[in-house]
Amino acid sequence: MEPSHPDRPDFRDTWLIIPCYNEGQVIQEVIENARQTFPNIVAVNDGSADDSAARIHAGGAHLVNHPVNLGQGAGIQTGVEYARAQPGAQYFVTFDADGQHQVKDVVRMVSRLREEPVDIIVGTRFGRPRAENDQVPWIKRVVLKTVVFLSPTTRRLGLSDAHNGLRVFNKKVADEMNIRMNGMSHASELVSMIADRGWRVAEEPVDILYTEYSMSKGQSLINGVNILADGLLARRL
Amino acid sequence: MIGTIVQFLLLAATLVLAFYFLTNRRKARAKAGVKLGFVVFIVAAVWAVLRPDDLTVLANWIGVDRGTDLLLYVLVIAFMFTTMSTWIRFREQELRYARLARAVALQSPVLPATSLIDAPDPER
Repeated sequence: MEPSHPDRPDFRDTWLIIPCYNEGQVIQEVIENARQTFPNIVAVNDGSADDSAARIHAGGAHLVNHPVNLGQGAGIQTGVEYARAQPGAQYFVTFDADGQHQVKDVVRMVSRLREEPVDIIVGTRFGRPRAENDQVPWIKRVVLKTVVFLSPTTRRLGLSDAHNGLRVFNKKVADEMNIRMNGMSHASELVSMIADRGWRVAEEPVDILYTEYSMSKGQSLINGVNILADGLLARRL
Repeated sequence: MIGTIVQFLLLAATLVLAFYFLTNRRKARAKAGVKLGFVVFIVAAVWAVLRPDDLTVLANWIGVDRGTDLLLYVLVIAFMFTTMSTWIRFREQELRYARLARAVALQSPVLPATSLIDAPDPER
């Protein structure tokens, strides 16, 4: 993974938000790698039982500690609230702690956000014709496509991969963001937020690295059922 | 009509419950509609205990054979309603809890240049 970009754009106005729960094994490396390009990173330690907090600090990120475990959605919201209060923060990125997202994708997405009239860009694993070396496991592909199929809002917005954790958005979106689903259902919640608040949305094809580590931790399919149930019930509250 | 022991017990339980619900203002901050519904429920319960046969008549009107069957169906509906409202209450509670935890977290961020002394013990 090379952080180099020919003209090395300035990312001092960009904040990476990394929710982190028991990722002590990989988080430091992920942060150090991302910091070669993005100087501002806030990692939210979501009540981890391991040494995540120390690793985050060692990696050189701003560290915010949830006193108890709340879930990924809550972690993202905390990170957004921290980052949007920082002077000069204009662009915000949600980034996974387990190393499955790539800095080069973020660089491209932030540059696009600067130039195009959109408020939020969501990464998609299905943006291009399926590549030879596509790493998305077939079962995951089926589940993700089903989720999209069952959500009329997602289809209307033209999103092909609403559950992609890699997102880049501007200050307007960060200021208005209010994730209420603490757990893994925040992605669907975000889709309805995009629709309700009229944020201009675009997609960017990204590569997800399914490392053995991320696969062993990744969202189980059962979680897909939870996400669907939350989408049907909880969002109406 | 001669009351049986079970009728007495049921009535006593119903009245205690009604008294508790209507006087305990601090805990039962339910909406007015729920309170009215509860009063109707109490009246119906008392009626059903005193005149069980009326329940059977009512059941027959809507195509159910026995009053006890009707009671069971109503109980199932009531249980689903209770489950639902409990779930909603938990969701609201969870949201407040998250906001509280977030406020605590944002009060003491650890900046990159500082030492980690203030951070919580990972062995906790």
